[in-house]
Amino acid sequence: MLACLREITSRGATAALVDADGAFDPASAVRAGVALSRLLWVRCGGRRAVALAAIDLLARCPGFALVVLDAGETPPGVTLGAAFRLRQAARRAGVAVLLVGRRRVAGAGATLAVRIRRDALAWAGARRAPTRLAGMSTRVRIVRRQGGSCEWSTPAEAPGERQWWTA
Amino acid sequence: MVDRVTSVACVWVEAFAAAAAERAEPRLREQPMAVVVGVAPTTRIVDANAAAREHGVRSGIAEAEAVARCPHLVRRPASTACVDAAHRALLDACYGVSPRLEDVVPGLVHVDVAGLGRLVGDATAAADRLHRAARSIGLPARVGVAGTRAAARIAARAGLGVVASGGEAEALASVSVNAVEWPDQISEALSRWGVATLGELAALPRAGLAARLGPAGLTAHDLACGVDDPTPWRSWTLPPFWEEAQELDWEIHELGPLMGVLGRVVERLMARLCAAYLVADALELRVALAGGGHHARTLALACPMDAARPVLTLLEHELGARPPQGAVTAVAVQASAIPRGAVSARLGHTAPPAERDLATVLAHLVTLVGPDAVGAVALADSHRPDAFVAARLDPEAVSATSDVPLDPVLALRRLRPPRRVRVVVDGDQRPSMVSGALAPDARVLGCAGPWRVSGEWWDAGVWGRDEWDVALSDGAVCRLARDLRSGEWYLDGVYD
Repeated sequence: MLACLREITSRGATAALVDADGAFDPASAVRAGVALSRLLWVRCGGRRAVALAAIDLLARCPGFALVVLDAGETPPGVTLGAAFRLRQAARRAGVAVLLVGRRRVAGAGATLAVRIRRDALAWAGARRAPTRLAGMSTRVRIVRRQGGSCEWSTPAEAPGERQWWTA
Repeated sequence: MVDRVTSVACVWVEAFAAAAAERAEPRLREQPMAVVVGVAPTTRIVDANAAAREHGVRSGIAEAEAVARCPHLVRRPASTACVDAAHRALLDACYGVSPRLEDVVPGLVHVDVAGLGRLVGDATAAADRLHRAARSIGLPARVGVAGTRAAARIAARAGLGVVASGGEAEALASVSVNAVEWPDQISEALSRWGVATLGELAALPRAGLAARLGPAGLTAHDLACGVDDPTPWRSWTLPPFWEEAQELDWEIHELGPLMGVLGRVVERLMARLCAAYLVADALELRVALAGGGHHARTLALACPMDAARPVLTLLEHELGARPPQGAVTAVAVQASAIPRGAVSARLGHTAPPAERDLATVLAHLVTLVGPDAVGAVALADSHRPDAFVAARLDPEAVSATSDVPLDPVLALRRLRPPRRVRVVVDGDQRPSMVSGALAPDARVLGCAGPWRVSGEWWDAGVWGRDEWDVALSDGAVCRLARDLRSGEWYLDGVYD
């Protein structure tokens, strides 16, 4: 999510983040290169319905290059019809919508669905008593891609799969 | 390249704010009147008419002082609308004489009168025509004509009338330096040196003026000689009239055929706006009815646009809800045009949300989540964890892209407020078991720390803590913090 926000805001565009749980950490975002002055942060205080209403409003506002819904640990249920309506609205407004959650939210309404799984941790400092978490490797797998095949069943050789280390 | 204007008339209205007030209220011409601004008791005089000036009422003095000098002084508050109307009227009047104008300030217009000989007459006739045109709209103007704008301005102020082209310096030589509004530095210097006329000023050596007064001295010398500054001529043009209309050969009774006609009218109008790189902010629809009546509607567009189809849909809804009371014989659509502002001037830069769209969305969001939960933030100037302050959302801000790292960083998902947890430590005082985090109990599989941070020890808000990054047996990777003052453990956040 931060990588997407960094990519958008560093290009001079405006993004919005609907934060269902208020979990966004501005310090992490700044370290990741996100321009906070071009990021509209909406904190919903755990109210999922409000978060959905907010994302619906923002997805219809032309000018936002990216609108992110961080649904957190317990993503709200979105019907397929609502997901398609959201997609249509975003397409008309020229807005990219990114839904982040512990489980899939938009289902078949998503143009692209990606699953990210933590792979390994790297610690910094002495081996017996490390002083800081240095990095985290994750595996990214494309679950759904509109117009393409689903690679869920072939995890090892999936062509869309890649791995990176975060630090 | 500077436009060469060979014969320029300057139309000048003295004390323009007062003249505008008199134009709106003609009976004020008969008595001393001043325009005031400010809140009592600090109101000051902006402008005064001729009768008030005879009593010593001047711009800038306090209202109380003005009343003391002229007990019968009539005061009027400064009115922007009144001044704007008079300003526009003066431009229109001058436009009736020559199409080439320069709008300098309200009450001062330069008019290019070169080439008007066969139409109006010589320079004297042109000046007379301009004077009458200004008087016809209720403004007492003075007109000066010369070969340069500077000389024409001075001629108008000093009442010289027409100055022969090429003889500006000689014509202005006898004019008092008080006829020109100088900067304070210049007027003080002229007073100190005993320079009384423009001719005396023009006779001073330029090099000496430049050495003593700098660029302002050279400008003053040019003005005294009637020489223009190199500012190009900025022509004023009439604001365009964005309207398209269509008269009908037959009367239309139903909405369907009427929309067909309106479609062509709106498409023509939008094409004109597109060509001028403008968008419509509001539309006014006027429909002439068979009985002689009119049906008029105004549409304020939610978003400025130049697309005909959505405008037509809006018009259809409007006419469907409030149909004309009779057969239609003519239609006209007028647009309030504004510059197209949505497209950024920077290449490759995505256009930010239009102000109107953003304001609307923000208003809705504030209704949803409250005013404190919407907006941009900035990091606070503090080492305290999770310290940020509200900031203004600025889509046009230029970021320092050189500071943007290329590699991803660890992202922390914060718990607000931090969750209190129970932690069991081992013999090395490192966490070994955590209770009350994401799972009821979890073993620590790996941990890093402590990372001690503290601050504000000089103040009442002193804080200090040891931070630990821990990997738990339930799969979570968390940041724990132990408050150094209370000894309590908190779950600060979860690494994403």
